[in-house]
Amino acid sequence: MTLRRVLSNWNTLVGLTILLVVVAAALMGEWLAPYDPLQMRVGPRLSGPSAAHWFGTDELGRDLFSRVVMGTRLSLGIGLVAVAIGLGVGVVFGMIIAVCGPRLQQGLLRVVDVLYSFPDTLIALALIAFMGPGVNNATIAIAISLVPFYARITYGLAVVEHAKPYVEAAWIAGARAPRVMAVQIAPNILQSLIVVGSIGFSSAILSAAGLSFLGLGVQPPSPEWGSILASGRNYINRAPWILVFPGLAICLTVLAFNLVGDGLRDLTDAKSRKR
Amino acid sequence: MLGYILRRLLTGALTVAVVIIAAGFLVHIIPGDPITAMLAQSVSATEEDIARLNAQYGLDRPVWQQTFVYLGNVLQGDLGTTIRGNEPVAPLLLQRLPNTFALASAGLLVALLIGIPMGFVAAINRGRISDFAVMFIAILGVSIPSFWLGLTFIQVFSLHLGWFPVAGTGFRNMILPALVLGIVNSALVARMTRSALIDILQEDYIRTARARGLREHQVLFVHALRPALISIVTVVGLVFAHLLGGQVITENVFSWNGIGRLAIQAMLQRDYPLVQGFIVIFAISIVAVTTLLDILYGILDPRVRRK
Repeated sequence: MTLRRVLSNWNTLVGLTILLVVVAAALMGEWLAPYDPLQMRVGPRLSGPSAAHWFGTDELGRDLFSRVVMGTRLSLGIGLVAVAIGLGVGVVFGMIIAVCGPRLQQGLLRVVDVLYSFPDTLIALALIAFMGPGVNNATIAIAISLVPFYARITYGLAVVEHAKPYVEAAWIAGARAPRVMAVQIAPNILQSLIVVGSIGFSSAILSAAGLSFLGLGVQPPSPEWGSILASGRNYINRAPWILVFPGLAICLTVLAFNLVGDGLRDLTDAKSRKR
Repeated sequence: MLGYILRRLLTGALTVAVVIIAAGFLVHIIPGDPITAMLAQSVSATEEDIARLNAQYGLDRPVWQQTFVYLGNVLQGDLGTTIRGNEPVAPLLLQRLPNTFALASAGLLVALLIGIPMGFVAAINRGRISDFAVMFIAILGVSIPSFWLGLTFIQVFSLHLGWFPVAGTGFRNMILPALVLGIVNSALVARMTRSALIDILQEDYIRTARARGLREHQVLFVHALRPALISIVTVVGLVFAHLLGGQVITENVFSWNGIGRLAIQAMLQRDYPLVQGFIVIFAISIVAVTTLLDILYGILDPRVRRK
């Protein structure tokens, strides 16, 4: 029933279709890419799209199609790991805030609200400036930048659950906070959290591309959409295809996650469905 | 009213204090010894420099004291000195702040000029094809990376058509980056306008206005749009904060001489005091603007004050 509702939404359907293609590209990169994405001079330098090189070649004669396809794995991988870590930490924080005493709760909420009011790209930038550039650090920085968002939302969900009589009964029966969080609250907010998780994906992928573009994320020559754009930016006048294809890849992927996230949100949020 | 304003100001001040403490704490996540890492970029580091940095961050003191050393310095207006060139950080950032604010304001204006009409059209056509079209464009808008849109604009409007200069800081240079920031952030404005207007259109007084036989455009533009604009004021703060986040990257794409561009240079050169200064100045800017807008909202809408 639910599945039918998901599939009846046109936007969600478009999003899921794009996602399917992107995930396939990430999983089967080696089979799809006709050339080694790192190998130079597989074709003439800065040549336009052709039968041999669908997306053209870059300034070092590398095959752009292979680089964009192989970049999918890095971009999605960073997004997936960052969302997993950020969601995990955020959910634990959010539940702790929901079950702790009123004084401490107000203080912790204040801190989360402060961090939440800052753009996540800025938080990731600030962290990576001190941790140093690189894929792993970028992933961790993006993960941390997502924590305030996830913690805030989890708190909102958990505090409603926490007020229900069965949770009070658990407290009275002598359960401790970790048990209440794990056994009573977590299973009941899980469904909503999956939706929330998907919303963070798009922002994680955008942040990752932005950091790599600035030279603070994935380092060249690794193929990542943001870093392909960064190294190609000086050639955009002679070879606009270096600009077009990686950019489209980012746009379509982020668009797909946004469409799916929106569809899922409509599904769980009765108020927005009514609209 | 005064109590409301004081509460908002106090919250703003606390927020800034939390961020400054966090910024001070960041030196501890530098891999290895922070002082060695900082001076690795310096050509001629002396014992004196090491002592100066130690004093500046209070690294020779217990950890709980260190947290407040940086806060204390900042409250006295001292953001430290750069590792490269040993220049005071505060003036370096402050002299670029007007450039950053000029671009951010222009971007915000573009976002409002695009977003409000879009949200308006979507709300009055709710459920129809134009509503879906507008909302699809809005989702598309938030999916475009600002740096890619920027590079595309440079390629098309500067290099190909020659309408605008490629890089630099001036009025003609501002148009393209302001458009980029505006387009990317207009989606948020459109969404908020739409949902605010949809709520208002269900109010009793709108039905009354229609029942009195007012023309539809009078109902929409006089009775519905004005209160909708008031609730958009709060969103402006949110959009501004979001816009400043994208601004850092956009300034780099267009070589706009603002603090975002300086910050990325500092990050790549590992000039930590300069990066910390950037975080503090940016945080103060965001908090100042959102606090001002909250107060303005309280003045415009008396119901908010009592919450």
